[in-house]
Amino acid sequence: MSLKYHRILLAFFLAFMACFPAFGQQDKEVTGLFAGISFQRFAELIEKETPYRFIYHSEDVSQLTVNLQANGDKLEDVLGIIFLKTDLNFSISAQKEVYILKGGKFPVEFLPNYFQASTSSALNSASPQDEFVRNRRYVIGRPGLGTEAKLSGVVKSLENNQAIEGAIVYEKESMRQTITNKEGEFDLVLPKGYTTLYIQNIGGYTEQRLLDVLGDAVLELNIGEGIFSLSEVVVRSGALTNVSRPEMGVQSLSVQEMRRLPAVMGEVDIIKGLLTMPGVNTAGEASVGFNVRGGAADQNLILLDQNTLFNPSHLFGFFSAINSDMVQGVELYKSGIPSNLGGRLSSVLQVTPKKGRTDKIGGSGGIGPMTSRFSLEGPIGQNTTFVLGSRLTYSDWLLDFLADKIDLGASRASFGDFNGTVTHQLGEKDALRVSGYYSKDEFQFDPDTVYSYSNKNVAISWTHYFSDDLEATFSVGQDAYAFNVEGEDNPLNAYRYQFDLKQQFLKANFRQEKGEKHLLTYGVHGIRYQLNPGRLLPFGESSGVIPDELAQEHAMDWSIFLGDELEINEKWSLSAGLRYNLYTFLGPQVLPIYAKDEPYLSENITGEQNYDAGENVQTYHGPELRLSGRYAISRNSSIKAGINSMRQNIHLLSNSSVVTPTDTWKLSDSFLAPQLGIQYALGYVTSSQQGALEFSAELYYRTMERLLDYRSGASIVLNQRIEQDVLVTQGKAYGLELYMKKTRGKLNGSLAYTCSRSLLQTDPSERKEQINGSKWYPSNFDQPHNANLVSNLELSKRLNVTLAGKYSTGRPVTLPIAKFDYAGSERVYFSERNAFRVPDYFRLDFSVNLEGNHKIAKLAHASWSFGIYNILGRDNAYSVYYVPEGGKLKGYQLAIFAEPIPFITYNFRF
Amino acid sequence: MRYTTLLVIALLGILMGCRTPYDPELPSTELRLLVVEGYLDTEGLKSELKLSRMVPLSATQTMQPELGAKVTLKGPAGQSYSLLEKGAGVYLFESNIDESKIYTLEIVLKSGERYLSKSLKPIITPEILSSGFKKDQEGVEVFVTTQGTPNADDFLWTFEETWIYRPRIRSPYIYVPALKDVRDRTEAEQNALCFKTQPSPNILLETSSRFQDQLVFQQTITEIPLGDERIMERYSILISQKGLSSEDVPFWEVLKKNTEDIGSIFSPLPSLIGGNIYSLDEGKNPVIGQVSLGIIRQRRIFIDLTEVSPWNYLDPKFNDCVIGEEAVLKKDYQTIFGSGAVLPARPLMVGTTIVGYYPSARRCTDCTLYASKIRPAFWVDK
Repeated sequence: MSLKYHRILLAFFLAFMACFPAFGQQDKEVTGLFAGISFQRFAELIEKETPYRFIYHSEDVSQLTVNLQANGDKLEDVLGIIFLKTDLNFSISAQKEVYILKGGKFPVEFLPNYFQASTSSALNSASPQDEFVRNRRYVIGRPGLGTEAKLSGVVKSLENNQAIEGAIVYEKESMRQTITNKEGEFDLVLPKGYTTLYIQNIGGYTEQRLLDVLGDAVLELNIGEGIFSLSEVVVRSGALTNVSRPEMGVQSLSVQEMRRLPAVMGEVDIIKGLLTMPGVNTAGEASVGFNVRGGAADQNLILLDQNTLFNPSHLFGFFSAINSDMVQGVELYKSGIPSNLGGRLSSVLQVTPKKGRTDKIGGSGGIGPMTSRFSLEGPIGQNTTFVLGSRLTYSDWLLDFLADKIDLGASRASFGDFNGTVTHQLGEKDALRVSGYYSKDEFQFDPDTVYSYSNKNVAISWTHYFSDDLEATFSVGQDAYAFNVEGEDNPLNAYRYQFDLKQQFLKANFRQEKGEKHLLTYGVHGIRYQLNPGRLLPFGESSGVIPDELAQEHAMDWSIFLGDELEINEKWSLSAGLRYNLYTFLGPQVLPIYAKDEPYLSENITGEQNYDAGENVQTYHGPELRLSGRYAISRNSSIKAGINSMRQNIHLLSNSSVVTPTDTWKLSDSFLAPQLGIQYALGYVTSSQQGALEFSAELYYRTMERLLDYRSGASIVLNQRIEQDVLVTQGKAYGLELYMKKTRGKLNGSLAYTCSRSLLQTDPSERKEQINGSKWYPSNFDQPHNANLVSNLELSKRLNVTLAGKYSTGRPVTLPIAKFDYAGSERVYFSERNAFRVPDYFRLDFSVNLEGNHKIAKLAHASWSFGIYNILGRDNAYSVYYVPEGGKLKGYQLAIFAEPIPFITYNFRF
Repeated sequence: MRYTTLLVIALLGILMGCRTPYDPELPSTELRLLVVEGYLDTEGLKSELKLSRMVPLSATQTMQPELGAKVTLKGPAGQSYSLLEKGAGVYLFESNIDESKIYTLEIVLKSGERYLSKSLKPIITPEILSSGFKKDQEGVEVFVTTQGTPNADDFLWTFEETWIYRPRIRSPYIYVPALKDVRDRTEAEQNALCFKTQPSPNILLETSSRFQDQLVFQQTITEIPLGDERIMERYSILISQKGLSSEDVPFWEVLKKNTEDIGSIFSPLPSLIGGNIYSLDEGKNPVIGQVSLGIIRQRRIFIDLTEVSPWNYLDPKFNDCVIGEEAVLKKDYQTIFGSGAVLPARPLMVGTTIVGYYPSARRCTDCTLYASKIRPAFWVDK
């Protein structure tokens, strides 16, 4: 940077001129009435309207006023008139920089090299223009009082001009940093003077801009997103964020990271990706239900934008129901759950859907052995964008193929899903978003019984910006889930069994910055539940099945919340929140009256009470506390602690170790109270190499109350009075999670290790039955040791290979320990609940991801993923069981994927 | 029946392909719980109560009978009906008792341990309305039809199957070592007509209130796949229909689930099993078993091969069974037939004189190796 220019006063700053040639011809023209304004003001106006940027000494033009009317005139002509009677000359560079000098013309053409002379460390760059932008020092702001200046700006993608959310903008000397919001905007206060501003491009590379900050200024930063990987926009809370954010126990996963993971059947799977994180495990391979920190699978709130997914799985759990093409990123809150989210005990999985690109219509898709995906996105007119995506399966051929080798019977399975989002900008201050999700699964194990289930979600959100400091999002929508079983084995007994659940919701979420130190979130969240717990109908004309229907359940669930992210000083910051939940179980309902202080058993029923429609049957309410704080030990490491309390009003009734397609949900009623949980956590996060290497350790302890377990022999299906079969259970879980992550470099990846326990105990006050004599017993997903490795080697910009490994202690099982003869067969007598474990689990997967070339102008970018799931072919036991065979008892262990499973997927985007 | 069938029981054959034998190391501590089994008929039908002990999983014998116990059914007014020990842990009950009363069963073991049942109310099981079988391309299905009543809503069916078992090759001759000669078999020596008997292996439960008018129509009792040995000639099944009280049902369901439904992907967790017997001693020895009182309704069905032809029974195990091509001459009788492993199957005639016998292996000719020669008393020929 030439010294000569240090004194040049510049009003604006431009990050990347190469992005501007896209501007239309008319942009180069000047139109307007400029009546007696200063040249500085004129330059500002032109800069606002056109891509031109002015570079000049302010003293040179201080005497100059502009007084003219232009009507589609060329800037050269206009400037020619303005400078006609002065000694000023101007030059316009190819990058539309207008240099104004006293005397001779400025040698515009030499500028790039000139600037390059003062090169600092060059980061990855694609072209000399990038270098130019990075290494040029921009003088910004107007001199004023004070030693600090406020930069306000927006970070946009170079490729599609979309705002980038979650980019970290930081300065190293003063340790100042911030994250861009949903609109890509950020504010940062920096010391005046020379400084280097870094923009950590999520999922891509860190960009830098050299600045000479003179005063408050506005910046627009256009940065390339993963120039070499051409990935989707990925949202990853960067390392620095993890160090500095007050919340803890938040795991983020970008689509890019997910893509690299070896996939079963070649399908990129969000939930499988989450399972590489510490504290997240699963009861079995064929289960999309996942367990967070010793909690049950139904204790996870799965949010697809604003919508709740009640069944996040496809194909009996082999795939997750979320189409990864439609996802920008996912965040899993294991603790540190913000006060605006709630309703489940263990975690919140927030899936952020992709927003449509604004530059042109594009799409992506993939073809795998079992599924195909296609999505399309782009603008519709000026203010509207859309994203549509769909996935379909054709797994039947695979089942047929497998049927030749093993006995598959008449198994049939198919699924599909559809996502769509339309975003409309109503004006500068309002945005409207309509989104929908639909999925349908159908499968059968024999020709006579067909299972199907479906998710249907729709939501409308309206975001309004009241001011720079206050924004609000209002959303309404409906989430529905239903399943249906049709059995026609015998026409006389043919039946149809149905379950469905609907919730209408309303959310108002305010976000307000209060001065520099407070970020308030507050609002209200209402849910209206309608649940049909089960209905049995005759199927076909000759069926003698008597219709049986459980009473519909209705409830209202209101929460209000207030949270504050408070930055006390550089060392301390705090995120505090309070949520108050009011839940009412509503009529119509006929409920039995049980004798006082007697267990809920049919023999203790003394009467019956009728409730009218809408009548308040039972109310539960209580506060939920969310508190977490951070103490920064240094600029790269911090200590965090938090307390979270949660309430859950809806329960999944499941008598098996995994979530099954026929599990039903149940609302809290007069007899089943909401589940309660509290978690204490302590953590340490450190990062080095500017966040490229991150290490975290977290300790947690949590207790859970009013969990559900079931009496021996309890049947959940069509159970009229489930409270008679439920055993009130309490749980506790604790653990240590260690996580190391390297985000950049030729070799990157993560290593997670969790040492944890998850225990249950039948409440000692429970009189129906005491499992294991009311001693603590391990839950079904108690896996004390759990380790996950993901290592990715970038062999070249286009080729990377990933090796992923997973080890965990075998899950607990209840095993037969003795046998006896009964009813003509050998029978088994089982040990105490979960007294044994299946053998330890170990699996290695391998995948190769090959990107096509990356010429931006190419019609479509293609990539291939292929690899092998379970290379070692280890037959990891999913469960063990005993069956009488010819009157003798034989033990078997069951593995889901006992052999190496190769896969290949072709992906494309355009 | 609570719709257990609705649960996804056997997830996928995929899994069947991935199942491997499993033999975990279990603690060697012996669990020797007392096991009580019985449905005592209240109308005087001879019915059994079985007392046994649990054995370790690795044990080779499946049943360890509890001998020398004193078992008594006690009525409300001090009536006492002793059960007669038949041996092998079986105690017989053969009394016609008042079905309107409530009873308890007392068990005193040889060791002095004492057990008592909870109150037992006799269930008046409704009659079997009809029974029969039907044949389709899969095989034969045996069924009953019955109708539940307000106090006999749940049913347990058990059955006992008996069938004629024939060897692949019949040998009407016998070698008598004392005579050093072969002669025709007497009726008592015949080894070509046997009867095989087996009890029902599965627990068959149904709730009649699931159906209109509590009519359980053509409830499948057993299915005999096409070509199965059981209908090689003539088959009989004795179906016992037992009404259950609602307290009995959970026990049977747990028993059924614990052995028949465990281990597929979506299987329910194994449940604790108990029953209606409890220990009267200090230390409360654990015991399992659900004893019921009630009327057992029975039906016997015969199925003859001719009724289900073509049946195509062929046991591949005996496909190597042939009659030797070289006859054994008299001088070699002792050498060949003496051990009993080879039997004379067909005569070698020279003119009208038998000079030797073509031999065949005993495993191909002697049904007593696999079944019993004793003709059951109920057996009726076609």
